[in-house]
Amino acid sequence: MNACLRNEIRRCRPLLGTFVEVAVKHDESDQAHTAINAAFVAVERVHNLMSFHDPQSEISRLNSLATHRKISVSFETYHVLKCAKELYERTQGIFDITVASELVDNDLLPKHTFFKKEKDYYGRTNDIELLPENFVRFLRPLKIDLGGIAKGFAVDQAIDALQVNGIADGFVNAGGDIRSFGEEEYPICVRHPKTPEKLLPLVSLKNSAFATSANSYQHRLGRIGCVHIDGRTRKFLPRPFSVSVRAQSCLMADALTKVVFALGEESASLLTEFDACAFIVWPDNKIMYFEGSGWNEK
Amino acid sequence: MSILKKFKAFPFHLVSVPGIVMIVATPGFATVYLTIEQAQQVIFPGQNLTPIEGTLKQKIWRTEDGGFFILDKVIGKHELITYALGINPDGSIRQIEIMDYREAYGYEIRQKRWRRQFVGKTATASLNLNEDIVNISGATLSCRHVTEGVKGIMNLYERMLKK
Repeated sequence: MNACLRNEIRRCRPLLGTFVEVAVKHDESDQAHTAINAAFVAVERVHNLMSFHDPQSEISRLNSLATHRKISVSFETYHVLKCAKELYERTQGIFDITVASELVDNDLLPKHTFFKKEKDYYGRTNDIELLPENFVRFLRPLKIDLGGIAKGFAVDQAIDALQVNGIADGFVNAGGDIRSFGEEEYPICVRHPKTPEKLLPLVSLKNSAFATSANSYQHRLGRIGCVHIDGRTRKFLPRPFSVSVRAQSCLMADALTKVVFALGEESASLLTEFDACAFIVWPDNKIMYFEGSGWNEK
Repeated sequence: MSILKKFKAFPFHLVSVPGIVMIVATPGFATVYLTIEQAQQVIFPGQNLTPIEGTLKQKIWRTEDGGFFILDKVIGKHELITYALGINPDGSIRQIEIMDYREAYGYEIRQKRWRRQFVGKTATASLNLNEDIVNISGATLSCRHVTEGVKGIMNLYERMLKK
């Protein structure tokens, strides 16, 4: 396990509300640090554009102003919204970035002052209109939160930044959303869904992306902190298992974990459609994995 | 073409032998990212830093042009984090770098209970998670403690370091 990780620089910064790790193999450390700096800048940019918490972000701007009015956004935000819309369509509404409304109502996201208390934010992702030249408009009142894909997208952007800066082997981990490129294989562990200090080695990652979703641990309170909502039913999903998905881009891996979280093993056809692999880790250590043909117990 | 259709098939590797679930009890793992010297070079490349003597829990260095490099530790529920904060001469935050991250969960008690749980089922992994770097995927860990630590240092800066 250790052999593949020699001669690397690994750095970590607090970003996206979590810890973002960037590792590169290098021959020349100055170049490596320059590339890593560029990767962090890329993540920081996504953080600044797409944070729901930050009232100055583009997402907050859309949430406060875009109903019935077109707002200009960055190429990046436009791209992520485009992906979100496509995912919404192809998952029949399971993946829906407008569940922000329910998350705010349940104090899982901040109640910004620009949200109207009495207003019903009933719009769905298909009510987001993407207009030419990166303009966006909401056709119905809605709140969007890119928490389900922005972290994955940030990882993809960081990977691009490393490659642009001449790195041949690199790895980015943003709080569990991971992607690697190059010849290196990176062994990945997932946290046990009930006992997070226990790690389960799950895959060896080479030139692909991997993301995990689970409900948060609140041992002290003796319950699971639920953060996942099915876009169709608008109901919370108090699943006891964790879901990991492996795909070519981290945005896709990140987004598909939410879909598998909602559908469980019924997600098979969607996973096939997206060319993705998935793991479901149960608290009793049963691990189910899906790889192309069907679900098997590992 | 659909933007989501460009993803191709990829090889699939499982770490463990099929049929055997490997579970690794981690008596607290650690990742070291940067030494003090490396963090200083990363945040203030090419600058000379002079340590400032004091009784604070943070260690402080001053750059030639009036910036500061501050070393601090924060303790979360399960983690101990050492980080470095660079402050520009104008008092703005220049950079934050995590220097090491250690996770510990009172393992002596739990490890026993944990192991008992898997007698006959667990194949002891060949991985040594104490020595090797661990890449972890899982429910997102919050960096709140570091953010609060940085706020504390910026207060300290206003009160004691700023001219």
